[in-house]
Amino acid sequence: MAAAGPIPLSVIGGFLGAGKTTLLNRLLQGASGIRFAVIVNDFGDLAIDGDLVADHGGDTITFANGCLCCTMGDSLLSTLNDLARRDDPPDHIVVEASGVADPRQIADVAVLHPGLVRDLVLVLVDADTICERARDSRLKETVIHQAEAADMIVLNKCDLASEQHIADARAWAAEQAPRAALLETAHARIAIERLLTLDSGHGIGNGPLRAPAVAHIGHAHDHANQFSSAVVILEAPLDLAALRGVLNDLPPSILRAKGFVSSREDPSRLHLVQLSGRRLRIEPWPVAARAGVVPPRRGRVFVGTPDMPPAAGLTRRLGA
Amino acid sequence: MAASITIFRAKKILTMNPRAPAATHVAVRDGHILGAGDLADLSVWGAHRLDERFADKVLMPGMIEGHCHSMEGSVWQDNYVGYYARRGPDGIERPALRSIEEVVDHLRRVEAEMGEGEDAIIAWGFDPIYFNGPRMTAADLDRVSQRRPVVVVHASFHIINVNSVVLQRANISADTDVMGIMKGADGEPNGELQGMPARFLALGAIGRDHFEEMGKKESLWRFARSAQLAGVTTATDLANALPETTIANLKAVTGDPDYPLRIVPAFLGLSCPAAEGAVKMRALSEQSSDKLRLGLIKLVADGSIQGFTARLKWPGYFNSSANGLWYIDPDRIADTLAVYHEAGLQVHIHTNGDQATETVLDAIEQVLTRLPRPDARFTLQHCQMAHEAHYRRMARLGVCANLFANHLYYWGDQHVEQTMGPERAARMNATGTAKRLGVPFAIHSDAPITPLAPLFTAWCAVNRKTVSGRILGEAERISVEDALSAVTLGAAYTLKLDGELGSIETGKRADFAVLDADPLAVGAEGLKDVPVWGTVLGGRVFPCADIAGGL
Repeated sequence: MAAAGPIPLSVIGGFLGAGKTTLLNRLLQGASGIRFAVIVNDFGDLAIDGDLVADHGGDTITFANGCLCCTMGDSLLSTLNDLARRDDPPDHIVVEASGVADPRQIADVAVLHPGLVRDLVLVLVDADTICERARDSRLKETVIHQAEAADMIVLNKCDLASEQHIADARAWAAEQAPRAALLETAHARIAIERLLTLDSGHGIGNGPLRAPAVAHIGHAHDHANQFSSAVVILEAPLDLAALRGVLNDLPPSILRAKGFVSSREDPSRLHLVQLSGRRLRIEPWPVAARAGVVPPRRGRVFVGTPDMPPAAGLTRRLGA
Repeated sequence: MAASITIFRAKKILTMNPRAPAATHVAVRDGHILGAGDLADLSVWGAHRLDERFADKVLMPGMIEGHCHSMEGSVWQDNYVGYYARRGPDGIERPALRSIEEVVDHLRRVEAEMGEGEDAIIAWGFDPIYFNGPRMTAADLDRVSQRRPVVVVHASFHIINVNSVVLQRANISADTDVMGIMKGADGEPNGELQGMPARFLALGAIGRDHFEEMGKKESLWRFARSAQLAGVTTATDLANALPETTIANLKAVTGDPDYPLRIVPAFLGLSCPAAEGAVKMRALSEQSSDKLRLGLIKLVADGSIQGFTARLKWPGYFNSSANGLWYIDPDRIADTLAVYHEAGLQVHIHTNGDQATETVLDAIEQVLTRLPRPDARFTLQHCQMAHEAHYRRMARLGVCANLFANHLYYWGDQHVEQTMGPERAARMNATGTAKRLGVPFAIHSDAPITPLAPLFTAWCAVNRKTVSGRILGEAERISVEDALSAVTLGAAYTLKLDGELGSIETGKRADFAVLDADPLAVGAEGLKDVPVWGTVLGGRVFPCADIAGGL
């Protein structure tokens, strides 16, 4: 087994009835071969399909609802500690936040926890009812906090909502979370497995650069045009500080990027670059020769919404 | 052969029995009260032993703390650094620390006595709301130690200050982009950690888990000592997820005849899906004993007023802070309540802000309409901002209130100046309204948030005086008699234990508070200073003197 790396943690937030559980069940169906630990903080009418999690060799764990500062924080933290310390830790942890929890606080645990790394914060909103909730004096602040925490907002149930409601929901989301990517769907149909870091953690040293479903250089659409992806090959060494600046300025339509570059200071040394959940990490790649391991190819995969910049545009931005 | 009868003679006995409010003797058999009266009244029960040790004492029903936490037992293993002097469960009073400098000096003395090693120094009760001036920083605590982790937990338990050792161990630096890590002008973390993630990971980095500590036997013993010193014979633990180890420890300590407290733990109703919780608590309620009562459920609707996390109706916070937080989806309260209610379990609900109170009353009304059950006795805990209209609804719905009277003293001034403004602050914890409108009520300390001391709590409800001496809502004051009733029968009623506890009369359990003065004679102002000599629990005498320094 490879040495344990930090486990990516993602949070799925959103109000009661927004489609969180449906999305989670889809993720579990869609991503085969990945061991998820699913932490459920929302005890709704729908249940996570525990068998589905078990089929993946993972676990479903519940944790206490309530004040994040008191019981809930403790319950969440001890659960995460247990997962991180396991001999056979999961590949990815997904937390289904309660309808009134602030997803950012949960994601922040992963930022601080040495055994975890923060991945995606995705917030689902019911396109039909969100604007009504945002006007409700009881619920207003809760839905705003959630939107503000999101790397990505998914307007769900668009099949049930009128054009006007969808337009209003879009405008509301853009106002609350201008930096978040925005996606519209129904029945929580999102190829979320494309957005999560599923090839990190334990597989980090072993796996090749995980190309998009249709792995070719250029621009690929998948899942009914839901996401686009682009592969950019960067053979020339880059100035890492400049790269950092460029990547931090990418438009919200880019949801995720991952790949390897070599630095100008030491072209023989590879760096792993990951952009996930609006967080950028650039870290030296441990090239310590391992028999049979082919050095990863320089280049980067970008995944985004269909309006993301094409490969050529990205190459230009990166100055390659 | 009949069990032996003991008749205690006292200078005076306040019975809380309206048919015979005062007595001089009480007869006890089998841990229960045969009757109260004078010696002639009680001698008819037959042969007895006359116990005269309380001849110069005043007895009242053992007091009942309807809202406190077993954490009152675990916090005292650490160093108290609060703004007010406070007595620990060992009976020793900790001094008041009136500035950051005094806190640092105190902890330096603690450090000096610790010897070698790198054991952490943990302190609690720090309340900078009373200081006008700079906040505590890591540099302050580095003066305590640059080798050991030092953590100072605020009185709210929601903020901590740490030294540089803790920052390093928790990997918190200028680059850490996490909410609640306070930074100084230089961009470096200044040691104040406000958010849950930072706070818990800092505590985790030094190997401390507050919630695990709470359920330990030593903590439960300290909890009982704290109660005994205050004349309390029954205390709630509101609330607890009740893991198996905690249940086992609760059973073990309460099963010890030397353990001086009855405990009523409330199950944290949102710690698992309600249907599972209901099954668990139905089963556990069968395992109750005379000193451990299981079956109560607690839900939490919103946050705290001084933490600006309570949910308020218009016009919101006086200082324009954003509205607070829900800890349960407001649209899901009724369904959650219904599950526990339908299982025959009693539910207490924490509501601080008026919007939370109103939303929960709506939910209770829905549940009682759908699933009518006489005498469900839903109880709103804290219920600090309820308006008169809410009390009218509570009276109609049979809902009780357990009001946080201690808040009036400790944070009353802040409520006037920051959270509520003058008019709403004056109606907070409206014991007078509850009394007038016939809402059954108790008053509480929420210990360890404020000291476990029902006579002080009663003093707060009677005087409604703040730290600065301001009177907060004169019309809401209640009489000394009503306040004493609130900390005995009133609290027993909210727990459905009023048939066996809360007054001194035939058939009830022989639980008494033994006082050195008559609380009815000392007057409203003196109530908080009435010395507690000890308690009697099920006829067994527990003098406070046995505790002093003996833990």
